[in-house]
Amino acid sequence: MYKEKIEKILPSVQKPARYIGGEHGSVVKDKNKVSVRFAFCFPDTYDVGMSHLGMKILYGLKNAVEDYWCERVFQPEPDYEQKMREEGILLYGLESLEPIKDFDFIGFTLQYELSYTNVLNMLDLAGVPLHARDRKDLSPIVVGGGPCVCNPEPLADFFDLFILGEGEKVNLELMELYKAMKQKGAGKEEFLLSAAKIEGVYVPGFYDFEYNSDGTVRSCIPNRNGVPKSVKKRVIEDYDKVYYPDNFVVPFTKIVHDRAVVEVLRGCIRGCRFCQAGFIYRPFREKSIDTIKRNTEDLCKSTGYEEVSLSSLSTSDHTQINELLSELVDYTKEEQISLSLPSLRVDNFSEDVLEKISTVRKSGLTFAPEAGTQRLRDVINKNVSEEEIMRSCKIAFEGGYTSVKLYFMLGLPTETMEDIEGMADTAHKIIDLFYSIPKEKRGKGSVSVSISCATFVPKPFTPFEFEPQATRQEIIDKQEHLISCLKTRKIKASWHDYNVSLLEAALARGDRRLGAVIEEAWRRGCKMDSWDEYFKPDVWWRTFDDLDIDPEFYACRKRDYSEVFAWDHLDYMVSKSFFIRENKLAYQAKTTPNCKEKCSGCGIKKECGGVYCGGK
Amino acid sequence: MEENRFDRRITFSKYDRAVFISHLDLMRTMQRAFKRADLPIWYTQGFNPHAYIMFPLALSLGISSDVEIMDASLTEDITCDDVTKRLNSALPTGLKIIKTALPVNKHTAIKKAEYEIILSAAQRDFNEFISREKIEIKKKTKKSSEKLIDIKPDIELLGINTKDEEISICVRLPAGCGLNINPSVLLEAFSEFTGKVYTAKISRTRILDNNGEEYR
Ligand code: SF4
Repeated sequence: MYKEKIEKILPSVQKPARYIGGEHGSVVKDKNKVSVRFAFCFPDTYDVGMSHLGMKILYGLKNAVEDYWCERVFQPEPDYEQKMREEGILLYGLESLEPIKDFDFIGFTLQYELSYTNVLNMLDLAGVPLHARDRKDLSPIVVGGGPCVCNPEPLADFFDLFILGEGEKVNLELMELYKAMKQKGAGKEEFLLSAAKIEGVYVPGFYDFEYNSDGTVRSCIPNRNGVPKSVKKRVIEDYDKVYYPDNFVVPFTKIVHDRAVVEVLRGCIRGCRFCQAGFIYRPFREKSIDTIKRNTEDLCKSTGYEEVSLSSLSTSDHTQINELLSELVDYTKEEQISLSLPSLRVDNFSEDVLEKISTVRKSGLTFAPEAGTQRLRDVINKNVSEEEIMRSCKIAFEGGYTSVKLYFMLGLPTETMEDIEGMADTAHKIIDLFYSIPKEKRGKGSVSVSISCATFVPKPFTPFEFEPQATRQEIIDKQEHLISCLKTRKIKASWHDYNVSLLEAALARGDRRLGAVIEEAWRRGCKMDSWDEYFKPDVWWRTFDDLDIDPEFYACRKRDYSEVFAWDHLDYMVSKSFFIRENKLAYQAKTTPNCKEKCSGCGIKKECGGVYCGGK
Repeated sequence: MEENRFDRRITFSKYDRAVFISHLDLMRTMQRAFKRADLPIWYTQGFNPHAYIMFPLALSLGISSDVEIMDASLTEDITCDDVTKRLNSALPTGLKIIKTALPVNKHTAIKKAEYEIILSAAQRDFNEFISREKIEIKKKTKKSSEKLIDIKPDIELLGINTKDEEISICVRLPAGCGLNINPSVLLEAFSEFTGKVYTAKISRTRILDNNGEEYR
């Protein structure tokens, strides 16, 4: 029995409770009484994956259907993986403790590019052939979803199909179709042909790419009849009524975000030009206060968590944010549960609400100006002004906060050294502001500002999808300049490894030819690339080199408006002409109003349920 | 005793998948179970208040038990039966409340624990090992060096049987805040003696007080 084999080796690994399931809220069914089994794989460790909201939603959604059984699967830590391989234990689902190679679906959520090698590693550990073409039977069908699916081409060889957009409806439709097909004994090709007709389903094997002599994409054309030329993402139109779990799996071990999470809105009104999430999740929809309150109460009751957090791209954009928070604070206070708000924009709150929140939880204060000067913030359409930051900091300092974290990006389009100096200026002004407040009115002790710099990574489906990523030398020069501008030790600066950003950029806008690179890098030992201690940039760059593929061709090349992109056959509803328009405005440092102020006609249809969509 | 504080001593079992829950994680798991069960936990007073749930005798990872003790204080006088019932409806598989009672003894009264060990070993080997004059184990001293101590006088072998390919051993070992010997230490010494690796299933079967009676 598998379970006994697993139990035998668990005492010798770190934190074994992560590998045995059995948590409160995990769903165990009788496998003889279900018709479709789904392995929901998160291509990272348990601690990371268990914190992910999308997985909780889809896990609950599928298991709510009596006939379906969805289990959780994660990338084991290296110590356990090694033991599994030694003992011949194949990757298994945490609920049944049975190998996932015998399941009907193996689904991966693709949240970041640096998890791609883990996908291959997990398929291999599961004993499943890596390439879709080598998996001839109906099961397992390997599917992918999540934000990276907006350009899934680097992984196209390994997946049978991708789910574009929001999964709540399309997952169930897909499983229903599968069940019917399995019952009548259909083969894989027949199933995939029908699946490709479901809105939001993309079957990469049904499309062929051709390339120009300069290496760019010439075309992507269907190779089967009846397959759409362009695949449209799915959107939940009646978002307030969409399924939301009333229970979570509550882990035994500590995980990254160990708390109840309630989703309050989807999409973003702001349209920051670098932000992929801001475009691919459009349009902006929100849940009613009643729904949010009900979700909060249900989850807190059923999980026993002592902390609940609200999740969204920008919680303060909820149209009734003050009332919402006021009601939630009343509930959580009564129940002695703490309420946390990760995407906090202090400036939007009334004094009253701010006071209420501050009595509940006081954490660090973060701002993401992203760029150091107003000019560059206009270029990227990041609507944060220095005055706003100062105003918020003042309120916060007077409320007892003493540390501020600032997020910036290096290597943005049109950036100059002046913009770098602007970052340091802002930090210095915050320090001065703190000391301008009388001692008895501000928080105790000293103030600290930390500047965290990421390298800008141009992403598909953004106005900057045409832009080159800054080269290594440019970034180093800018980092050095920033350091030379810092005049006090109360300000600390840190940055991400450029290797990570370059790889992320190459994979994000890559095409099918990168599949071979990913596979070879994995064969040479790359996995867990998002973990500093496991990331092997030298192996990656040598692999690129050996396969005669240049990562900078994908990452650092300026692309024409007329270039055909590897993701042009995927339709995320925001039009390419809108992105071109926005790109031009960026170069004029002209901002675009947010959806609430004025609809800019990005291409989203009114029928999608967006709060502000004008329906042009 | 403080006002509005109602102490309960809860006996529970830990088996199946739950044997892999560590001591620290068990604390969190129980705290959440109390919350789900709507049992109001009493918080310690003072600078850093925390929920009063405690386990007087830790159980090592991988060992199952039917006699685990958890002390918890509530802010309401909820009957013992009710505590048992409500907690049981809120616990994950592998954790089960057997009974709830009012505490009788202090934690320091715990002196011994008994274990059943099912071992993939030959009875002859084990007999040879256990009948040696000395059974020495390495113990880390405070100065981070190691010293050898003889645990032979502390081991009470209660029984040994062979079934199929395995032997089943019943043993009583010192436990509690004085000397505490983990059965895995005994098995390590056995392994070292024979030079073989064994698989073992261990369960704790009794916790005893200074009078040799069931700890209450
Ligand atoms: S259609 Fe208008 S309101 Fe809707 S997402 Fe696009 S720009 Fe915003």
